[in-house]
Amino acid sequence: MSIKKVLGKTGYGVFLACVFLIMIIPIYYLLVTTFKSPAEAAASPLGLPVRFTFDNYSKAIAAMNYLQSFRNNLIIAAASVVLLLVFSSMSAYVIARSKQKVFKIMSGVFMVGLIIPFQISIIPLYKMLAAVHIMNTHFAVILVDVFCINLPLSIFLIRGFINTVPVELEEAAFIDGSGTFQCYWRIIFPLLKPILATVAILDTLTIWNDFMTPLLLLQSSEKQVLLQQVYRNVGPFSTDWTSFFPMLVMATLPLVIFYLIMQKQIIEGVVAGAVKG
Amino acid sequence: MKRKLLALLLSLTVIAGSLAGCGNEGSNAGASDTAGTADVSDTTDADAGATDTESGEVVKLRMMAYNAESTRATYLQYLADQLPGIEIEFEFVSNDNFDNVLNSQLQAGEGPDIIEGGGQTKLLARAGYLLDISDQEFIGKYADSGLQAYTVDGKVYAIPLQSWFEGIYYNKRIFEENGISVPKTWDEFIEIHKTLEAKGIKAQTMGAQSYEPMMKQSIALANNMFYSDSANLAFDEKFNTGEGKLEEAWLPAVEEWYKIIEEGCLQPEMLGLSYDQALDEFATEKAAMWECGPWAVETILEKNPDIEIGMFPIPGTNADKPGWLVGGPGSAWAINAKSKHIEEALQVLEVTSTAEAQQALVADNAGSSFVEGVEIDLGDIYADCDEAFKAGNVYAPWTAAWTNGQSVVEAYGKSLQEVLSGSRTVQEALAEADTTNLNLIDAMK
Amino acid sequence: MGGKKRTRVYFLMIIPAFIGFVVLYIAPTAMSFMYSLTNWSVYNPEIRFVGLQNFQKIFTDAKTVAALKHSVKYAFMITIVQNVLAIILAVLLNRKSRVVNFVKSLTFLPAVLSIMVVGYLFQYIMTSADGGLLNMIITFFGGKPVNWLGDEKIALYSVLITQVWQWTGWSMVIYVANLKSIDGALYEAADIDGANGIQKFLRVTLPLLYPAVSFNVLMSLIGGMKMFDAVFVMTKGGPGYATETIMTTLIREGFNSGRTAYACAFAVIFFIVVFIFSQTLTYFFNKWEEAIQS
Repeated sequence: MSIKKVLGKTGYGVFLACVFLIMIIPIYYLLVTTFKSPAEAAASPLGLPVRFTFDNYSKAIAAMNYLQSFRNNLIIAAASVVLLLVFSSMSAYVIARSKQKVFKIMSGVFMVGLIIPFQISIIPLYKMLAAVHIMNTHFAVILVDVFCINLPLSIFLIRGFINTVPVELEEAAFIDGSGTFQCYWRIIFPLLKPILATVAILDTLTIWNDFMTPLLLLQSSEKQVLLQQVYRNVGPFSTDWTSFFPMLVMATLPLVIFYLIMQKQIIEGVVAGAVKG
Repeated sequence: MKRKLLALLLSLTVIAGSLAGCGNEGSNAGASDTAGTADVSDTTDADAGATDTESGEVVKLRMMAYNAESTRATYLQYLADQLPGIEIEFEFVSNDNFDNVLNSQLQAGEGPDIIEGGGQTKLLARAGYLLDISDQEFIGKYADSGLQAYTVDGKVYAIPLQSWFEGIYYNKRIFEENGISVPKTWDEFIEIHKTLEAKGIKAQTMGAQSYEPMMKQSIALANNMFYSDSANLAFDEKFNTGEGKLEEAWLPAVEEWYKIIEEGCLQPEMLGLSYDQALDEFATEKAAMWECGPWAVETILEKNPDIEIGMFPIPGTNADKPGWLVGGPGSAWAINAKSKHIEEALQVLEVTSTAEAQQALVADNAGSSFVEGVEIDLGDIYADCDEAFKAGNVYAPWTAAWTNGQSVVEAYGKSLQEVLSGSRTVQEALAEADTTNLNLIDAMK
Repeated sequence: MGGKKRTRVYFLMIIPAFIGFVVLYIAPTAMSFMYSLTNWSVYNPEIRFVGLQNFQKIFTDAKTVAALKHSVKYAFMITIVQNVLAIILAVLLNRKSRVVNFVKSLTFLPAVLSIMVVGYLFQYIMTSADGGLLNMIITFFGGKPVNWLGDEKIALYSVLITQVWQWTGWSMVIYVANLKSIDGALYEAADIDGANGIQKFLRVTLPLLYPAVSFNVLMSLIGGMKMFDAVFVMTKGGPGYATETIMTTLIREGFNSGRTAYACAFAVIFFIVVFIFSQTLTYFFNKWEEAIQS
């Protein structure tokens, strides 16, 4: 091996090590602090804990009302994702296959949502939800998550996918006498599995990590989601970071587990979202 | 792999569907659970009553508050004992979200039956959302100073709970070891900083990442130098109409306060400290002084049970006069004018006005009572504040008298952060507060 | 084939989503435009038409203008920094090896954490209190502690760093996928021409990264413009107004101060700015695409 190659290899190793350290230190710090006492955390922030204690975690779980908040997250995410898959796949199918002008216009309207952040409408939206008395319900959050945040991109992605499916499949079914909806449901929908998985993953990430919508819409603590529980425990009622960090860990744990199990699909989903988009 | 993923998704969907189904029931159950904690009446009795007679029916009252349930625990228990026919549903909404939640519910013609009011009470009263309770008998029990903040055009809209106040907490051990006594003037206060810093001890810590501490501390100087002259109390009314300007009225006081920055006692580094971190520095005896109020004491003692602390009022320029605390009627209960249970809500207010209820309030969060004849022993920590309390030297104009208090002090406090970092003068900060006030007056036209 | 019937079925399939979208998204957006011309506020029940007064007020209020500037500055900076880093990482990490794959997954990991959690974590890492991790590391190497979040000159950049840390991995995986789709023959041809690594990158890789660049740039720019969570938890817009953004101002004025109409007017300005940016970018990207294809 030439000197140049050795140098190149060493350089690459150093580069990898740097990236690794920059990414891992904050995460390591977060995790390791959760097992320490306040004094220990201040004295040696990066050292391993003297002895592992789960006290901080049991306190955090109690303070966050964990199971209930977790269930709230799950209800909102699952209901939103199901609705999104149904609505966006049907709409995308119509947009992809129809030739009438009215659907082209509708498609154009949906695409407005891709560019303009929904935050612009937030104040009238808020007043509207309050006026129909669904403030402080999961339903309101689901509505916003579905229609204001995720619908346009989901439609867009699925439409791109349907465009790659040959029309001949449906034509054949039509000749066999199937109706339009059966055609979609029996032939197209099963073919959409990969893109639906992508959409479901992207939507889940967005919905689970959305803080502003629940912050503005959910007030009673028994309806709040994990991130709100974290937020509620900051400030005058938090004592120190050794009891606060476990809350951060517990709030993100479900998604981290989701990521560790489905890493490949998630990254594929992100890429598919970008390439089709 | 794809197949596996889809299977997982589908099963999740099924689970989610069933969860969503029971979710609705679940959240209802959750709601009555929380209410249940406040309600100690015999439930079987209440159930029977509900089916048989009207008199036995339990009325649910929604109470929306920005102070957490734990700070009212003893009091809520007392209410439950005294009013078995009323079940309080205590709804906590954190302070920075409280106004928008409340406003939107009130605008929609809904909202809680009992509202925890603070600086916004006058605005709400003016907009017609609150019940006029001037004629209630229990109003007579309160000292005028407590009602003033909740009076609009001579009508009373809320009853004050225990007062809140902030002064300077100090570490008695550090003070003793360094031969320091409680300061009588602002200059002495600054001198203490220098003495301690010279010995390598951090004098004052401050969580200046929040706009509040500097805002309050400088207003304490305005209390000392401006509001101590009773002739100046009329200023606040002028301020509400936009006629009075802080830039003129407060400037000498806030410039006096500014010395503490000029002398380097407050440093720009403090802008990177949060409330928690400042509390931590004080509790672990890394810093000798910290401005705060009684709600922090429990946490301080939890962190360091051995610490010995006291509080002194914020001193002014005159050594012969006691200093001032920042504070006033903390928060108050008001009744939603559109409540369906006005009678019951009035009962709650009536019970709240008794000496026992007042003691129960103070039990979880120290403060003094505005009900006349109720003596509250605050304890040794506040011994140095005795004179100030006796002289009535507790004031916070933005909660006591200003219509747009909260937004104005936020703008003012944020500008003071810029003063600390050196990019603005105190005069500009005061002008900024004036502008914000004018904008809001304008928004009400 | 039964055109009319088919159209009806199509209509039934799309209409639920369309109605939901119009009611919950288009209508409130239109209402924002309408309210921006009134004097509506929470404490003011009588609504009156006031023309462009709110817009005039916005441009005379230094705080609001500053918030607009911060958002634009932040959006541009994060777009550049994040994408440059992501391309560098993507090019260097586009190899098949276990270690490299591990580093790639680790780099992507923060993207699944919520912005708020990352914000709180870094608030503690960057604190100027004793025991702030970042300052400890700096002083360990002999540097001077920095007041990351409390210095008005650098607070916005500190927030930016945390967001770059969180989102670079996301952009990177998109670039990596794009790199994989580039035909290896092009590199061989460049090799024959005697191009070195950097020349190859500039002549072959970069132009063909067009699809990933256009997507990532547009996303980071719009994402940067609507940034809220990170500032909300890390600095609350402070110190002073140094890190106020469009969204924090919108929430403060619209919800906390109750100046509904004023906030709506600001939302309209937000709309215009985002619209101009995205249209301009799309225009340039289309030019780029044409250039590649010709």
